[in-house]
Amino acid sequence: MTEATIIDSRGSACPGPITDLARAYRNSKVGDLLELWATDKGVQADTAAWAKKTGNEILEVKVDPDKIVVKIKINKR
Amino acid sequence: MNDYICGCDYLNGDGTMSKLSIVIFSGTVDKLLSAGVLSQAAAAMGTEVEVFVTFWGLLSFTKGEKKMIMPKEFEAMGPALMEGMKREHVKSWYEMLKEAKEFGAKIYACSMAAGVMNIKREDLDPIVDDMVGAAKFLADAEGGQMLFI
Repeated sequence: MTEATIIDSRGSACPGPITDLARAYRNSKVGDLLELWATDKGVQADTAAWAKKTGNEILEVKVDPDKIVVKIKINKR
Repeated sequence: MNDYICGCDYLNGDGTMSKLSIVIFSGTVDKLLSAGVLSQAAAAMGTEVEVFVTFWGLLSFTKGEKKMIMPKEFEAMGPALMEGMKREHVKSWYEMLKEAKEFGAKIYACSMAAGVMNIKREDLDPIVDDMVGAAKFLADAEGGQMLFI
C-alpha cells in the first residue's frame, strides 16, 4: 500500500486548501495517495468538486474535532 | 515551488479543458478580493484563467503600494472586514492572483482604458502580463465562462 502524502492546509482559508492540493497534484503520479488536512469548512465540498472535475477519487472524508481529513487517490495525471 | 506550468497541462478528467475569463472593472477592494478568490480557485481546479483589467480596476494594477478602496456604502465596515480577513488568514487579492498565475493564469490590462487614464505599459505592476485590446480578450474567452466584476 502506498503511503499517503500529507498536505497540511490547517488554518488556510478558501481557496488555500484546494490550491495546496492542486500543487501536490502537479507533483503526483497515478496511484499516489494524497491526504489533505484542513480547517476551512468548505473543504469537503471543494475537494469533491475538484476530484470530479480532474477525474480523481475521494476515498474517505474524516471530520475530526480539530480538522477535516480528505483522502484522495490519484487516478489521472 | 516556482516551476511555471501552463494551465493547459492540467485537463479535466474527461480530457476537455475549461476556461474562465474575468473582467475586473471595479477598483474597490471587496470586488478585487472576489476576483482573486475565483481566479485562484479556478486555476487550482485546472481551469484556464484570463483576467482583463479595465477602468477603475487599473488603479490597483499600477506599480507601488496597493490602494484599499472600500465602496462608499460599506466604508464603515472596512476595519471589521480587514480584521476578519486577518483572523481567518485570508490572503490579499494580489496574493491570490499571484497564486492563480502560478497555475498559468494570465492578466491583461485594457489598452484603451490605460490610455484614457494616462497609464503606460511601464507604470503597470509586474503581475500584469501585457496590455491588450478587447478583441484579443474576447477571442481568448470564446467558448468559456465569463464574469464581469
